[in-house]
Amino acid sequence: MKSENDVVIVEGVRTPFVKAGLDFKNVHAAELGKQALKELIAKTNLNVKTVDEVIIGNTGTPSDAVNISRVVALNAGIPKEVSAYTVHRNCASAMESVAQGFDKIKSGMAEVVLAGGTENMSQMPLMMSKNQVAAFEALAGARSGGQKLSALAGLVGANLNQVKDLVTTAPFSETPNKPIISLMQGLTDPFCGINMGQTAEILAKEFEISRAQQDEFALSSHQKALRAGESGIHAQEMTPVFLPPKFEKYVSADVGPRKDISLEKLSKLKPFFDKKFGTITVGNSCPITDGAAMILMMKRARAEALGYKPLGVMRSYAFMGLEPERMGLGPTLATPVALKRAGGMKLKDIGLIELNEAFAAQVIACKKAFNSKKFYEDRMGLSEAVGEINDDILNVNGGAIALGHPVGATGSRLIITLLKEMQRRGNVQFGLATLCIGGGQGGAVIVEREN
Amino acid sequence: MELSLSKEKINNLKTKISPHNEAVRLRPDGDIAWIEFDLPGEKVNKLTSKVLVRLLNIIEELSQSKYKAVVLISKKNNNFFAGADIEEIKDLKVQQDARDAAAFGQSIFTLLEALPMPTIAAINGACVGGGCELVLACDYRIATDDASTKIGLPEVLLGIIPGFGGTQRLPRLIGLQASLDIILAGKTVLGTKAYKAGLVDLCVPKELLLSEVKKFVNEVIKKGKRRKFFSARGLANTLLEGPLKFLIFKGARDLVLKNTKGHYPAPLAALDVVRKTYGKNLFKGFNLEADVFGKMAVTEVSKNLISLFYMTESVKKQTGLSGNLSVDLSEVKNVGVLGAGTMGGGIAQLAADKGMSVRVKDVSLDAITKGLKTANDLFSKDLKRKKITKYDLSRKMSLISGGVDYAGFKELDVIIEAIVEDMNIKKKVLSEMASFCKADAIVASNTSSLSITEMSTAWPNRENFVGMHFFNPVNKMPLIEVIRGTHTSDKACATIFALSKKMGKTPIVVKDGPGFLVNRLLLPYLNEACYVFAEGLSVEYIDKTLLKFGMPMGPLHLIDEVGIDVAAKVAKILYSAFGVRAEPASVMSKIVEAKKLGKKNNSGFYIYDSAGKKLNVDGNIHNICGVQKTLDNKYKPEELVHRVLFPMVNEAALCLEEKIVETAQDVDLGMIMGTGFPPFRGGLLKWADSLGVSKIVDDLEEMAVKFGPRFKPSGAIFNMARSGKKFYQ
Repeated sequence: MKSENDVVIVEGVRTPFVKAGLDFKNVHAAELGKQALKELIAKTNLNVKTVDEVIIGNTGTPSDAVNISRVVALNAGIPKEVSAYTVHRNCASAMESVAQGFDKIKSGMAEVVLAGGTENMSQMPLMMSKNQVAAFEALAGARSGGQKLSALAGLVGANLNQVKDLVTTAPFSETPNKPIISLMQGLTDPFCGINMGQTAEILAKEFEISRAQQDEFALSSHQKALRAGESGIHAQEMTPVFLPPKFEKYVSADVGPRKDISLEKLSKLKPFFDKKFGTITVGNSCPITDGAAMILMMKRARAEALGYKPLGVMRSYAFMGLEPERMGLGPTLATPVALKRAGGMKLKDIGLIELNEAFAAQVIACKKAFNSKKFYEDRMGLSEAVGEINDDILNVNGGAIALGHPVGATGSRLIITLLKEMQRRGNVQFGLATLCIGGGQGGAVIVEREN
Repeated sequence: MELSLSKEKINNLKTKISPHNEAVRLRPDGDIAWIEFDLPGEKVNKLTSKVLVRLLNIIEELSQSKYKAVVLISKKNNNFFAGADIEEIKDLKVQQDARDAAAFGQSIFTLLEALPMPTIAAINGACVGGGCELVLACDYRIATDDASTKIGLPEVLLGIIPGFGGTQRLPRLIGLQASLDIILAGKTVLGTKAYKAGLVDLCVPKELLLSEVKKFVNEVIKKGKRRKFFSARGLANTLLEGPLKFLIFKGARDLVLKNTKGHYPAPLAALDVVRKTYGKNLFKGFNLEADVFGKMAVTEVSKNLISLFYMTESVKKQTGLSGNLSVDLSEVKNVGVLGAGTMGGGIAQLAADKGMSVRVKDVSLDAITKGLKTANDLFSKDLKRKKITKYDLSRKMSLISGGVDYAGFKELDVIIEAIVEDMNIKKKVLSEMASFCKADAIVASNTSSLSITEMSTAWPNRENFVGMHFFNPVNKMPLIEVIRGTHTSDKACATIFALSKKMGKTPIVVKDGPGFLVNRLLLPYLNEACYVFAEGLSVEYIDKTLLKFGMPMGPLHLIDEVGIDVAAKVAKILYSAFGVRAEPASVMSKIVEAKKLGKKNNSGFYIYDSAGKKLNVDGNIHNICGVQKTLDNKYKPEELVHRVLFPMVNEAALCLEEKIVETAQDVDLGMIMGTGFPPFRGGLLKWADSLGVSKIVDDLEEMAVKFGPRFKPSGAIFNMARSGKKFYQ
């Protein structure tokens, strides 16, 4: 039932998603966010003076743009008077931004909100080792000539030790002399101390998911993404990114889906996280990726007054927690809560699902859990399972295994992809976007297609 | 104390000129006397003769007083002194009067310098010309670090030299190298830089100026008067400023000659004064400065430069409507640019540079990328020259976005069309675009040759359609022709006129017609140069002769730059519009047939390397055109200049008669800003007036007999000659 207080999603635009270390390597997250946001503003012919709030998700927190939302907003031409803040809920940062937009509009604190996320994982820094930091501090603190000389020697020593450790220890192992890879730290849970890939290994083992099942899932993700890319479906939600600093090139397609992929090739990849017993490979995990995705949301009354025809209505959202080492199951806990908040809906009411593909094993584990009565009895004290996930409505245009998962931007990408497909299909009323969150949480958003 | 003007003359001027008492106030403040400058009814202070007399009276009063310090300060917002009154300089016609005017100012400043108590200038805002010379005569100077604080001596830009002691006191204060840098280029420096150069004793934040001055004065009262002299730092500088100073003078002279090509006498004259007087008797120095000022002030070059200054100043006040009517305009905050080519990219860069948001549309993402690159390259140059910071660059580039659809066009106030020069394509794109734009959006076409009135039929609201003709390269060429079609509304015209100014350009309003103004006048000149070439004269001689006249580039070289095919095309358009007087020289099409298109394909009258650098004249060019070479001395330089420029004057008279532009000033601004017609000549029609309209008509008639009917003077100029009229009445 339509209400003037509905929160509508007017439009969404994302950048192409590009594997880390490639074309977006030198494009700051704020720049990616700006290009996406500017295109969203242009596409909707939005009068920027109407904007009440800009909320942008980001996890890397670049040190030269700590409130990246404000940087994106100002560079995108949002008036200086408009408030802008950054949110961080790890993998769900961009979904959190949309959730906060929803709350602000529902509570009457705002009527026009720009939400979304941006992430440049290529630019997550290498940090100095502890010993090197100490050597630099000694140098800065040195006063006399002798002190300076010995501090300098200390710095040389720290550098030599670094080289030594780099040569003699395992690639990702930590020592006090090696530079710290912030990306690796970010993907390692600080509570339980295991890597995101290892959380997927746990699920694969506990839910008895074979390597072959995972590889098949990954292959299908690529195939669906390729089909959607070639038929122009992805282009409908994308804006090209013109590449600074020289502006000699642009990127207008996702760099992730691979034509040359096959089960045979996937099966040859070595497990990355558990070399001995593991099944998780780089082929059945989502790649480290750069990208941004922005959404324009409004109170329905305002959207109508401004003459917009929205893509859909946001009905509810939910975030739920669980033990960090099984973070991949997050969607199974957030979804029933979101359904309930959407007016007591059931999973069978949902006609289309975007469930983020952090790992193939994690998605398959979620599917199994969704359909397990015991799981819900144990976990949530429910009397029945949430229901079966129909593959025909799941990630129909490919998922993060093919497209990539720019952590802070995926949440809004899922909602855009979902709503655009619901519009294309025309016969789906309700949709679900859900994802797992590093640190042991899940997020879910229920949307309704707008006629 | 010796003064450069005699006591009698000073007294004479004092009685003849009544002092402007309100412009300069003396405010006692305990031991301190504040001299406050505040010229009533003006935004800036000017050193008019009346102000000078008032200042003289105050100085005389102070010389008898017991004050322990004197502070000079301006009560204007962000202005200390804009300099002497240009109006008075303009009216100086007699060399001796001009000399005395300078010597009068010098004498007053010398009396100021000789006051028994220390004097301190507190400078915020522009402090240039006479204002700068005033503070140089003080014992101490304090400047603010505000961006508006600019100290310097721009006199040479008006064809004169500093005349109130600037050539004497500045070199003695900051040394030869730094002072020549300012004097010869007419430069100004910011407060921070002035502090580094030793030009001021302190540089303080604007908000703290008063409190810092008060602190400073208390210290100075203890220290007393002083005369600061430059002392060089380091061996190299000590040698250069002393025994080896001839090296500096030589380097400075070479640089001036390179920059002025010998057309502007003032910088050389200023250099000469400094060279002859540096380190010698100050009184003699003042005398020479005043003499040379007198000479320069009455030159035609100076008068022309001053008139050009007034022209550009008057544009600032114009609205672009006849009678200077004003209409209610909303400020243009965002513009669309249709077409991301060289012009489109340049226009986008310019708009973004001035803080406007820009949406570019082209048919391919490759084209958009090129447009962004054009803009980014220009900003990167500014970054390299430290004109902007990396933050400025990213902010400015962020203002530009683009795409292959009309996304964002509904929000645009103004759309500038810069697509291919083809009427049908332009019309097609305009009608396609219409449904994506606001009903009251103003559309400006950057066409250089097509009819605005005809093009406007493709736009639903033809009143909102107007021409905005930028010149290439957009970032460098200062002119914009605002073309009024038959139906263009006042509002559209005034909006684009104001937008042009906001973009930092000089606009002139031109009525729609073939070639508008600049190309219509330029083509007869280029065409005639081709005729001369077709008689067998060398490319070098033709181009050099016009370079010597003061053109920034010879006509044949310019044709190469424009593109010979483009020039031929425009010539054809004008021929079909104007008939016999615009008959194109056949060599143009011959060169095009030989696939020589000019700079763009590295081969025209000249040969270019792959980077577009001009190498030498194509030795084969006469053969290609089937032209027999003759000796260059067939025409004397003056004959040649007249032959190629008089058709231009003839055409200009017609333009005025047809009201293509309203005034001779518009023609001159157009030619100076649009083609680089030598500023020291004051513009095409100022130059024509200096020769005499009737001489030009006589010569044109003679040339019509000799070279063909295209020279026949038009009725417009003929009537002017008969009634003894000039272009400038």
